[in-house]
Amino acid sequence: MKRFLIFFLVFTLLLSGCAQKQTQDFGPADGDTLVIYTSHKKEVWWPIVKEFESRTGLWVQVVEGGTNELLETIRSGKADPIPDLMFGGGVESLEANASLFSPYICAQADRLLPQYRSGEDLWTPFSALPLVLIYNPKLLSPDSLTGWSDLLKPSLHGRIAFADPAVSGSSYTALVTLLEALGGDHDTVLREFARNLDGKQLPSSGDVLSAVASGECSVGVTLEETASRRIAAGEQLAMVYPADGTSCVSDGCAILVGARHPENAKKFVDFTVSRDVQQLLQDQFCRRPVRDGLEPSASLPDLAAIAQVDYNLRWASEHRDSLLMSWAFYLGSEEEE
Amino acid sequence: MKQLHFRSFRQQLNTAFLAVSLIPLLLCSVLLVQIFQLRMISDAQQTAQQQLTAALDALDSVHTGFQSVVDTLDSDRLVTQALFDEQAEDTKVYEQLFQATEALRGFAAFHLYDISGNWRYSTQSAPESKVLSTHWGILYGAAQVPGTVVYSAPEDPAALSAPLLHAAALLTDPYGAPMGYLTMELRSSQLGTLLGGLAGAQNQLLLLDAHWRPVYCTQSAQVLTLAETLRNQLLSGKALTGTSDNFVYTVARDTATGLTLVLQQPQVFTQGTLRLFYSVSTLCALGCVVLSIVLGLQLSRQVFEPIGRLHKAIRQVEKNDLEVQVPIPEGNENELTDLARQFNHMVTTLAANQQTLLENQKALNEAQIRMLQAQLNPHFLCNTLDTMKWISKINQVPQVALMSTNLADILRACISPAEFVPLRQELLILERYIEIQKIRLSDSFSYEADVPEDLKDCMVPKMLLQPLAENAILHGLSGVEAGQLLVTARTDTENLLEIRVCDNGRGLPPELLGPYRPPEKQTGHLGLFNVDTILRKHYGECFGLRLENREDGPGACVVARLPIEKGES
Repeated sequence: MKRFLIFFLVFTLLLSGCAQKQTQDFGPADGDTLVIYTSHKKEVWWPIVKEFESRTGLWVQVVEGGTNELLETIRSGKADPIPDLMFGGGVESLEANASLFSPYICAQADRLLPQYRSGEDLWTPFSALPLVLIYNPKLLSPDSLTGWSDLLKPSLHGRIAFADPAVSGSSYTALVTLLEALGGDHDTVLREFARNLDGKQLPSSGDVLSAVASGECSVGVTLEETASRRIAAGEQLAMVYPADGTSCVSDGCAILVGARHPENAKKFVDFTVSRDVQQLLQDQFCRRPVRDGLEPSASLPDLAAIAQVDYNLRWASEHRDSLLMSWAFYLGSEEEE
Repeated sequence: MKQLHFRSFRQQLNTAFLAVSLIPLLLCSVLLVQIFQLRMISDAQQTAQQQLTAALDALDSVHTGFQSVVDTLDSDRLVTQALFDEQAEDTKVYEQLFQATEALRGFAAFHLYDISGNWRYSTQSAPESKVLSTHWGILYGAAQVPGTVVYSAPEDPAALSAPLLHAAALLTDPYGAPMGYLTMELRSSQLGTLLGGLAGAQNQLLLLDAHWRPVYCTQSAQVLTLAETLRNQLLSGKALTGTSDNFVYTVARDTATGLTLVLQQPQVFTQGTLRLFYSVSTLCALGCVVLSIVLGLQLSRQVFEPIGRLHKAIRQVEKNDLEVQVPIPEGNENELTDLARQFNHMVTTLAANQQTLLENQKALNEAQIRMLQAQLNPHFLCNTLDTMKWISKINQVPQVALMSTNLADILRACISPAEFVPLRQELLILERYIEIQKIRLSDSFSYEADVPEDLKDCMVPKMLLQPLAENAILHGLSGVEAGQLLVTARTDTENLLEIRVCDNGRGLPPELLGPYRPPEKQTGHLGLFNVDTILRKHYGECFGLRLENREDGPGACVVARLPIEKGES
């Protein structure tokens, strides 16, 4: 009886074994792949990755997500597929997760603008992203918004679109820039700004532009890149470089510790700072290149003509938690009243 | 135990039924579904290959068409002039362009760019951007491999208003120097015309570039997710199963263009089909189980009821009831009814035999009674001898009187019903016998008895001594002058009664010494044999006669040993 059963099972297995067959001859060779975790939108990473693939013949697997979400996944060690490279994310976020990355000095590093480079070469800058103020020209006259100080005016109370700095990296940079530009006691400024927001902050940075364009809010804080593209797309928005100084923090990319394809990752890093890619950034994505010697942009004003605060990246990175806690406290206490 | 055995046999029968019905059914089901599946899959694969080959042919035709356009325009003086020197008449250039692209114009739009990427001529409306980067994208790619067509996927294949498949090739002047680019654009509708009809109604065809970036899908809604899923599966080395398990995918690569085609077919055996099959199989199996149990019970009842009846009848016979008969059902002839019939016959014969035996025994008994009745009354003989004694006394013949008295005493002792008598009486009878023998043998021997008084009360089998004395007189003393016959009785060391009957004759030959052994041939004299048998039967096999030669002179002794049993008196 037992023998019968065994025979039966073996027979079944044999039959089912020959039923399925999949060809895997179409994929890349084992070492010819690269796994990129990116917080860039597809419109940014797509042309770069596609061009990289066709130039190198490598196959790139892209996993999209928010910066903090991706970094959290990587830190938990449960990332699947195992990433080789983190592409995108403000350098503050990258700096805060320094232990995840292995240093790399990219090719043509000497052509990079020194103010954007990482001290330990843990990450390589990709593009510089100045912060701007936007307003809805139908709701606000051009001369009523010139700088950060205007955001504390009672006339704009409850009409400011500002993303949650705990979620949005650019929003946190904006908060630090605001403190830096206005000077004085940080807590006082924070409390006043929080009070002027009337306890209202938006869940993500993308919502800022929509809120202003729709008229829900009159002014907003966002990145030059985002604002320029939305304006170019014909939305009802106007952009102001704060007269009291803005910051120009870059995003970057970094090779991860434990990368399966470190050589391919290095090729990609080199490619992101290559002349072709940097030119593309400036021409098509309204981003500021981190490389010198490029033809100046036709649409963006020269960065030298824009007032800038002395943005301390290290300080911003180190005080992130305490600053966000104070912010949450001031914003929350406003709500309780 | 017997019951248990019965039950297990019945279980074996049921299990066998179950196995015989279930195993072939299950085997058949599995085989059937597997063969069916293999057949369907191979059919589907064949269809897929045919459809893919057709799609590859279509792609190849476009590719060769474009290549021939490139070949026509490459090194063309007019085009060189137009692109390089801008000295040609536009109408002539268009004429040339339209002529070259005639075969493909239904499928694609062609554009001519100069060496800096500025748009110059189109077979259809002008492209959206009038300048294409030569440091980036498709023109850059085409410049890397002069004379070869490169293909490029769109960023968003779901945006059907824009061209989906781009192709470009570098054009050179007659001297081999690059002078411009020819590009080809295929829109969704054109790709649909080219590929749409090639996949069957239920199938979808997915066109991917060399790196599996989506270009076109016959069902444009799912192009992005499907392509991304397939690509991730390819890169992580998994089987291509797409977004759900309901489809199978077949891949073919077009070597000329580097493009990849993926055909999506509905799964031959979906989970639903399999579930249906398993349900049907399970139902069939259940039916089999029920049927085999019913049949098993039926058959076992047919087999075990006759066996049970037979078993009961055998029990009756064991209890000596030979009247029993196993009932034989009508009209159901098989081995078991045959067996029952044979059993009935056997019991009948047995009963008849027993009857015959009883009758025989009865007849025998009657014969014995008749024989006993026919015997002479011994008391008549005794009385006659007494009469003879008195007559001879009257007639002064003392020997006859003595002999008849002795003979009458011996005869009386013989016919007395007692089996055991005191030794004293036995000695008396022996004396009577000796007296007769002395008269007969003319006093040729002397007789002496040496028995202590206390032993004379011991009970011994009747007629124990007479055969021993007769043996001594007839064999030991024959031919001996002044013969002696000595009878002694003693208790030995084991407290047994030891009776010796000794003569002074020639003695026994050595081979006869020791315990008495019955002669191989029965002769007329059975005296010793009878006594030995009586002793052994009465007292046990360790008792009996022993033959010795006398130690104190010539002659032999016959020794009888028996336990001491005192009489009641």
